[in-house]
Amino acid sequence: MPFFEWLRSNSEEYLLEASQRDMATRYGIEAPVRDGSVFWRRIFTPVYRLLPWGLRRSIMSAMPGSHRRWMRRAPP
Amino acid sequence: MPRRVVVVGGGAAGIGAAGAAKQTDPQAEVTVFTEFEDVGYSPCGIPYVHGREIPTFEQLFLATKQTYEDVGIDIRYETRVNRLDPAAHEIEVEGTGAVGFDSLIVATGFEYADPGVPGSDLDGLHYVKNIRRAIEWDPVLEDAKVAVVVEATPLGLEMVTALAHRGLETHLVDPRPWALADVADPDIMQPVQDSWADMGVKMHFNTPVEAFLGEGKVRAVKTPDEELPADVVVICTHKQPNNRLARDAGIKIGSTGGIIVDQRMHTRTEGVYAAGDCAEIPHGVTKVPIQGLSGSHAYAQGKVAGTTAAGGDRAYNPVDVPWGMVAGKWMIGGVSFGETTANALRFPYVMGVAEGISRARYYPDMKKIRVKLLADPGTHRLLGAQMVGGEGIKERADFLAMAVRTGITIEDLATMENVYSPPIGALNEPISLAAQNALAGLKG
Repeated sequence: MPFFEWLRSNSEEYLLEASQRDMATRYGIEAPVRDGSVFWRRIFTPVYRLLPWGLRRSIMSAMPGSHRRWMRRAPP
Repeated sequence: MPRRVVVVGGGAAGIGAAGAAKQTDPQAEVTVFTEFEDVGYSPCGIPYVHGREIPTFEQLFLATKQTYEDVGIDIRYETRVNRLDPAAHEIEVEGTGAVGFDSLIVATGFEYADPGVPGSDLDGLHYVKNIRRAIEWDPVLEDAKVAVVVEATPLGLEMVTALAHRGLETHLVDPRPWALADVADPDIMQPVQDSWADMGVKMHFNTPVEAFLGEGKVRAVKTPDEELPADVVVICTHKQPNNRLARDAGIKIGSTGGIIVDQRMHTRTEGVYAAGDCAEIPHGVTKVPIQGLSGSHAYAQGKVAGTTAAGGDRAYNPVDVPWGMVAGKWMIGGVSFGETTANALRFPYVMGVAEGISRARYYPDMKKIRVKLLADPGTHRLLGAQMVGGEGIKERADFLAMAVRTGITIEDLATMENVYSPPIGALNEPISLAAQNALAGLKG
């Protein structure tokens, strides 16, 4: 799998899993128990959460993808 | 010489593209290649036939093969395309050889993620996609007693509801902690899950599938806790872009695995366009590209691709993704994203939640509606919403999508005017109540 697909796929999976754990606590339901990478769960997710939103957005914007070729809205 | 527009794929995007190309340039030679036996039907309706809400599969067909012939679209059914060659402006078609094009539209759709566990190749694992396979499979349900649905994706929700409605003992197995957990919030899904329990559905959350068991044909689904016997197993894993042809041709792929396109659905390869589930589109709020949207998104993207491929000018917008569906005995829906996704991204937000009613309190069949709004803490512009209720969810999701697109604030929503008429609308609009609660939260 190409690097940016690997990065997106893993970051999405582990950030969502961490969020689902937060939500489970908030709403009083059983939290997910899943095996997975120590790097993504113990290093990547906490570091991502510490970064300021502006920096996170800049990193995401710098990744290759359709968003780099679009304006906010198409003219009518 | 007429313009040659070739479309690879006969789903919503491909057919939308072909129709738009022909409309834009009536002299164009428009050819669609599809591996399947049919085009012009609603695959989204398949679960409702399995569930017997719709009596026959024939009702899902929207057009006949003659319809396309009459408008001059040449559809090659059951025809595999083996290679795209953008440099030579040709595709290689099995049994035919090279076919030239002036514009190529890639609309190769999606494939379900491989469950990636032992037994994934057993017979009897059903994937809901092609109507002919659904017609062949449906009689199996006549004698089946127990069904297992793997993963609570949108299709999974529809299939659980359909199979339970049909009277099968239905199990749902999902590694996440609640249904549709990658999209919807737990408080939105709780009423759905309660209604499934009322319908006899057995839910196994936080439970991965370890293997499919059987000799030739699946007979059980193995989880860490137990073996679930199954007469039928429906795989509803995530939709992944089907981009083998595009990758092999060197067409640029983005981080989602979808083809990179601009607002005219043009790829980064000259003369090649892409639309539908094989392409990635920026999200209107986060700006992050996403893929695997709805049939209406695919069709609209196809229209843009077809128009521009045939020499016209049309553009597509970033998507705010209004969504809605029936699950269990409830309607759920929303726009953009909810609390779970915002928290995953650590996207800054404030939230307001309210419970209201769909009609006057005293009117028959009044239903509850729960509305959750997320807004930007600085600008107060609406970022997203999620809802669950007995009725009126789709219309609210569409309205809120326009609110997100146009930058409407929670102050605007808190003071919105609303229709009040006992059979169709209550005195207080739940959206307005949720916005008022968000404002109250901001004021501390």
